[in-house]
Amino acid sequence: MDKIGIIGILGTSLDRPTAVERWHQWRPSVAICQQDDLIVSTFLLLYPPTHQTLADCVAHDITLVSPETQVETIPLPLENPWDFAEVYGALFDWARGTRFHQEETEWLLHITTGTHVQQICLFLLNEAHYLPGKLLQSSPPRGGKDDVQGSYALIDLDLSKYDQLAGRFQRESLASQDFLKSGIATKNAAFNHLIERIETVVLRSTAPILLTGPTGAGKSQLAQRIYQLRQQRCALEGAFVEVNCATLRGDTAMSTLFGHVKGAFTGAQRDRPGLLREAHGGLLFLDEIGELGLDEQAMLLRALEEKVFLPMGGDRPVKSHFQLIAGTNHDLAARVREKAFREDLFARINLWHFHLPSLSERREDIEPNVSYELERFAQAENRQVRLNKEARDRFLQFSQSPEATWKANFRDLNAAITRMATLASRGRITIAEVDEEIARLRDAWQEAPSQNDHERLIHETLGPEAASQLDPFDRVQLGYVLSVCQQSRSLSEAGRTLFAVSRQNRSRPNDADRLRKYLARHGLDWEKSRHQGSL
Amino acid sequence: MIAIDGSDGGGQILRSSLTLSLLTGEAFRITQIRGQREQPGLKRQHLTCVQAALEIGKGAADGAVLGSRELVFHPGKVAAGDYHIRMSTAGSTTLVLQTLLLPLLQAEAESTVVIEGGTHNPMAPPVDYVQDVFLPVLRRMGADVALTLERYGFAPAGGGRIRARIRPSALTPIHLIARGRCLEERARVLAAHLDEGVIKRQRRALAKGLDWAEKALQTEVITESDGPGNVLMIGGVWEQGSEWVSTFGKRGRTSESVVREAVKGWRRYVQSGAPVGRRLGDQLLLPASLAPGSRFRMESSSNHFETNRRVIESFLPVKMVTREEESGVVDVKVTT
Repeated sequence: MDKIGIIGILGTSLDRPTAVERWHQWRPSVAICQQDDLIVSTFLLLYPPTHQTLADCVAHDITLVSPETQVETIPLPLENPWDFAEVYGALFDWARGTRFHQEETEWLLHITTGTHVQQICLFLLNEAHYLPGKLLQSSPPRGGKDDVQGSYALIDLDLSKYDQLAGRFQRESLASQDFLKSGIATKNAAFNHLIERIETVVLRSTAPILLTGPTGAGKSQLAQRIYQLRQQRCALEGAFVEVNCATLRGDTAMSTLFGHVKGAFTGAQRDRPGLLREAHGGLLFLDEIGELGLDEQAMLLRALEEKVFLPMGGDRPVKSHFQLIAGTNHDLAARVREKAFREDLFARINLWHFHLPSLSERREDIEPNVSYELERFAQAENRQVRLNKEARDRFLQFSQSPEATWKANFRDLNAAITRMATLASRGRITIAEVDEEIARLRDAWQEAPSQNDHERLIHETLGPEAASQLDPFDRVQLGYVLSVCQQSRSLSEAGRTLFAVSRQNRSRPNDADRLRKYLARHGLDWEKSRHQGSL
Repeated sequence: MIAIDGSDGGGQILRSSLTLSLLTGEAFRITQIRGQREQPGLKRQHLTCVQAALEIGKGAADGAVLGSRELVFHPGKVAAGDYHIRMSTAGSTTLVLQTLLLPLLQAEAESTVVIEGGTHNPMAPPVDYVQDVFLPVLRRMGADVALTLERYGFAPAGGGRIRARIRPSALTPIHLIARGRCLEERARVLAAHLDEGVIKRQRRALAKGLDWAEKALQTEVITESDGPGNVLMIGGVWEQGSEWVSTFGKRGRTSESVVREAVKGWRRYVQSGAPVGRRLGDQLLLPASLAPGSRFRMESSSNHFETNRRVIESFLPVKMVTREEESGVVDVKVTT
């Protein structure tokens, strides 16, 4: 078992007096060594040199009642034991210069004696790990007059060790995470882990955050949620200011961000504060930060580092204290290599970098998001719209298939739901609306032809059920095979095209047969392979 | 290994077990140590006692830690020597002495045991009691023991010191059947760092309660003590046996009530006519068990007596035959 060591400050009033009367009183420094279930091996007693007699008396009494205890009295000169800076400095110096041998001694910091300032400093030094151990609080005897030793309790600052508190923190944290996810019960493990991380960071740090991810992945919405969470939990008082840097061009960019003074340029008829000043005490979300001009980047960096910047035409720097979230769908590191983005600014905003996955990377989250979008539509339009089961299944099946690329991510999903809900008669989206929407989405995602058309061919030829069972590996192959079949007049022609190289090494080419067998493996024949419409 | 259930007793079961284990060389396992106390398990002074037993017996123990509810004790061979034991929290020095005394009587050479801590504790026999009541009986059984009080120690400060010299001796049976003639009666007020007025009040109350002559009342003002303390003792010496009844004064308790309690205990002893008081009965049981054929009559039985008897019978091939007389006096015979 580890030995117990106590670090305590002499109680210049609680540990008094020195007369024999003292044995009738609870004196915390002595009493803690009189406990029946605690054997103190070492007591480091810090005392003001002006109280030498009292310190000696307490040390003597401790050895009397607890012969197991080695008391070391350590003078700690203080001009003013109520002066925070002085007390902290003195205790800090002492702690830094002392070896605690934690491997053999478990330390307890007795915070019952000393001035409140001293107690607070012990606590702070403990929390910062300059002083080892747990906090020890002792209390006077209750009721009965004959036991002078009172009682004691250990306070472990690792709050997670207190089951009840841990449960509360867990609930708080889950509630915050839920809030960041807009209450959507997402299932994608990677995304949920990401949110967990973000929750921790945004509540503990005010440093800039970089959100990357494809367009429509929800960067803007997340930034807004982070702002609201900090508003609730971190007492953030200023406003949420959002700007898409792609919309800022030329002179107006500078002026929009940093403001200008009257007469700074033609048309500047009055002072304009600029977005950075509007975000003072709040949060600034700069979306598409990669689009920001180099001049603006330099100014932004200064504003981040020094909390000041110069408005256009102004000669006096202006202060703004804002938190920053930057968003981008570019590879900023690449932009830095191209010298289109300042390396120092990148380093500054890249401290916390979170990448939001595209919707197609988290297809299991489409279902909860469909419900969320329907709810949102209902709130916005004041009209409840339902998806019946059949229609919901059809839509989800499509949206979870590889064919659905969700190019614009949540923007696409939001648009799809809005369209279906708007067209639905009597508040009910049916198969008809869903099919119509699927066709519309396919059209919209048409641009990447080869890949998508192959997907469509597979889908239409095999049917959605069988198509969803295919590995991506087989998908590419089958997609190409089907497209060749579509363009060929006969099985043999298609075979010749598909096996153009290997057939030259054969005396009796059997391309048609090889293709027939390949198709059969997917439950297809020549007729079926050409069944659907052509390219 | 002998199994002892500690659940229905306090530290006494542990101490008796340690003594018997050292005497017999038998290992034991005690479970549920101080099982029904508010804070069960080994407390500091019990731990010191175990460590002292380990030291004189050159033994080994498992579970000898604070708060432990179970202890396994393997004794080695008891060795004579000079021992110095320090009790924390003014723990009783006499209880530790009692634990070590009988085993050291069986050692091969003379031992000196110095114990520091409390010499006058409410829940233990005061040193005067051991000197004047217990040791005279033990000497009559053949023990060569001397005990001196070197410094007073009262709870909570402690700081007292006793010194025992113990020479190897064999015990012979004792017979304490009748008291015989009364040779002396006296009462003492021990006061350390106590208000003059309190002492006067206690003397006055004593004189009134006992109806004794002034000169039978002694006041001893103790200056050589770290902390304050106050004990009131009433005692007497008979041809066969002696007794000290003691009560402790403490803050918030009137002198009159302290005196009343002492006088009541004293009268109970005197009226019983038995040579052995209640407390001596508990303490005599162990040495008497080492000398079968011993017989004594004691004032009355107690829970302590019963648990002690149970522990002794677990270690030694002896039987305690008890017979309670009409007056409540218990006649105890130790047989093999």
